[in-house]
Amino acid sequence: MNQHLFAQLIATITGVLLLTAILQIWGRSLVRSIGLLSVQGAALAALVLTVGLNAGEPQVWLVTGIVLLMKSVVLPAAMLRSAKLIGETRERPTTINPAVELIGAAGLTLIAYIVGVPLAGPDPDPARQALPVGFSLVLLGFWLLMIRRSAITQLVGFLVLDNGIATVSFLASGGLPLTVELGSSLDVLLVVLILGVLVVRMQRQQGHTDITELKELHD
Amino acid sequence: MNLVDAGLYGVLVGGAVAVAAAVVLRGRARNVIAGLSVMAVGAFAAATGLAALAGMVGTGLVIPVSLPLVGGLDPLVLAPDRLGGFFLLLAGLVIATSALFGIGYAHGAAASRTGWTGFAVFAVGVALVPTAADALSFLLAWELMAIGSTVLLLADHAERQAVRAATMWYAVMTHLSFLLLVAGFGVLIAAAGGTSWSRMVTIAEPVASVAFVLLIAGFATKAGLVPMHVWLPRAHPEAPSHASAAMSAAMVKMGLYGILLVTLRLLPTGPSWWAVVLVALGAISALYGILQASVQSDLKRLLAYSTTENVGLITTAIGIGLLLHQSGQQAAAEVAFIAALLLALSHAVFKTTLFLGAGAVLHATGERDLDQLGGLAARMPVTALTFGVGALGAAALPVTSGFVAEWVLLQALIHTDAKADRLLAVVMPLTMGVVALTIGLGLLTFVKAAGIGFLARPRSEAAARATEVGFTMRAALVAAAGLTIGLGLIPGPLAQLLAGAVGATGIATSGLTGIQLGGLGTVILDPLVLTGLTAAMLAGIVIVNGIAARRHPRREVDLPWGCGGERTSPRMEYNATSYSEPLARVFGASLNTRRSVEIEHPEDAPLLVSGMVFNQETVDLVEDRVYVPAARLAQRLGDLARTVQNGSIHRYIGFSFAALLLVLVLVTR
Repeated sequence: MNQHLFAQLIATITGVLLLTAILQIWGRSLVRSIGLLSVQGAALAALVLTVGLNAGEPQVWLVTGIVLLMKSVVLPAAMLRSAKLIGETRERPTTINPAVELIGAAGLTLIAYIVGVPLAGPDPDPARQALPVGFSLVLLGFWLLMIRRSAITQLVGFLVLDNGIATVSFLASGGLPLTVELGSSLDVLLVVLILGVLVVRMQRQQGHTDITELKELHD
Repeated sequence: MNLVDAGLYGVLVGGAVAVAAAVVLRGRARNVIAGLSVMAVGAFAAATGLAALAGMVGTGLVIPVSLPLVGGLDPLVLAPDRLGGFFLLLAGLVIATSALFGIGYAHGAAASRTGWTGFAVFAVGVALVPTAADALSFLLAWELMAIGSTVLLLADHAERQAVRAATMWYAVMTHLSFLLLVAGFGVLIAAAGGTSWSRMVTIAEPVASVAFVLLIAGFATKAGLVPMHVWLPRAHPEAPSHASAAMSAAMVKMGLYGILLVTLRLLPTGPSWWAVVLVALGAISALYGILQASVQSDLKRLLAYSTTENVGLITTAIGIGLLLHQSGQQAAAEVAFIAALLLALSHAVFKTTLFLGAGAVLHATGERDLDQLGGLAARMPVTALTFGVGALGAAALPVTSGFVAEWVLLQALIHTDAKADRLLAVVMPLTMGVVALTIGLGLLTFVKAAGIGFLARPRSEAAARATEVGFTMRAALVAAAGLTIGLGLIPGPLAQLLAGAVGATGIATSGLTGIQLGGLGTVILDPLVLTGLTAAMLAGIVIVNGIAARRHPRREVDLPWGCGGERTSPRMEYNATSYSEPLARVFGASLNTRRSVEIEHPEDAPLLVSGMVFNQETVDLVEDRVYVPAARLAQRLGDLARTVQNGSIHRYIGFSFAALLLVLVLVTR
């Protein structure tokens, strides 16, 4: 692959990944949030394809297919179903000002950059150069977990975090082996399915899914 | 494959059959088949143990292991040596007897699927511990034993609250023991470069002492030595009686086997303070145990404290043996080790008798409070007789194994040349005093247990209605009591086998049955001959007595203390609490006895007494002063942690987030 084209593609794709994460923090609509997650999944699949083609990996299409199916279709669909079941469409109001949330996100992205650049090593290739984006996805996912109250957005945050880890590993290693990717995808699917069930049960028992209300400790 | 290997397979197969029977069968069939299978485990263990004790060496069961990260380890080897063989024999006898008792006794939760499975796993674990020839298989068998006994103990948790508390104590202490052992063996394995016992014999000082302290603490916890004895008086009363018997007589001995393993086999050249530590641990346990036992009125709790006492005596004997060995008095040292082993076997058989006897009483009356018993000798003659034999053994009186064992221990103490060594000059007289006081208090305690429990008139309805227990239970009682007397009359051959186990030379059989302690001059004990002589002398008295009785037939005598009336009632009898009242008074400070007397007056006459309530309870001093404060401290620390951990999910995520950021910053700095 043409190295210039490769660098451009990587920059575009990682840009989309970062943008979708920031938009998650900005927005309040659950449905849009899940839609953004689907876009992010598609971007991740594109990243796998680009990195894989550049490295000339034989199984690149298969891995791309799995990632696209899981992250862009199956997981968002499962979450959309949970959201419909409990009938929530908007995030519950938080005590934190939206501007503070965005400033925090900006700060975390900066930290990710400061942290990620030395890890990329001296004279990095375009893929390694984009490593800070992966770190910032991880941190932004954590940030979502911190500032959101609805159980569905907690799931979104968790998946953004997972996408961040996947991004870092794809960029750093030039493509994951098939079995590892398969394993981690199924893992995440299982987590989302179980949490989906739990969310519905929370809604049934308490009439809402606000996790700040879950404070009582049991033995 | 010789007898030893075949026996080991027998133990494993028997255990598997027992578990299968416990799971598949139900009701009476489960009791019978599972019980018989566990009996087979015991029988195989005893046969294997006897063969190994006699010096037969098998290839053992060898299981090669390798872990992906660690690489090739020494294989797991189950092959008992002579010392292990002795403890295997002991465990096998106890397991077989208590399983036989369990067939008739087990009911309710103890007869459930869980109960019998726990018992089978426990039996296999106990049998495998002394066969292990490397640290890894030892720890595996040890944990099998711990898990089996915990499950067995917990079986009745739904019915009785006390079971849950007892199991909690037991589980905590048993895991403490396991952790200490893992740490101790870890130190040895790291120094030796392998897990096999045979590699560990060349370990030099500072490391050896660290391992000694850790291992002895772990084994002492299992053996129930003070101050780690607290689980015994809780777990033994709450467990089903056949399980109490097996735990007290067999499992606790594995702690002693561990102590012998460490001091004789793995680290045979320790400094003299090791021996002093053992003597001190043992002497304190012996005294404390028998003092507590003497004032208990719960029969099984009394027996549990008496276990601490006996384990203490055995540990003292081991310590004395080491001390004598180090000061070069080889003959006396060997006698002390033989005494330790004889005490262990003797305690195993008489404590089995006593716990099974207590189980029979519990089965017949539903009571284990001595103050509610009495009059059982007439109603349960077999139980009363066998319990009496067990009590004789526990009080170390002649014709029982207890007498022989303590006689041998005292010979070792008496025949020490204390002038040879300053340490000996201090330790020996003190030990002698402790042993003598322990034996005396033991006599009082078991006179109480047998006398108050079985003689006089029944003190409660339940005791008055008691009937003799079923055939299997009686058979088990008779077998255990028979062993107690058998070892008491014919100790010679066993002593000679034991001499081989500890490498002693001077011990021999005297005549057909007696013990000759050759190294100490001509010290001979031949109980059979002594008993015969005594019986011949007594026969004369009995004959004269009989003639006199025929000449003066029995007369009815009115009770002289009835104040002219006949208003005697069981409430006027001495009971367990009143019998031990002088002891509770003399040793009040170390027993932590709390008593209260409440006097009720009629409403219009404050100087008259209409009723009195006397209440006395003995709180374990160690538990009160050590464990309760420790638990309170842990609770307080836990409360402090609660301010950090308030249940808010966002806070927890925040902690992880902060940690992640910190790590990232540190890594890239």
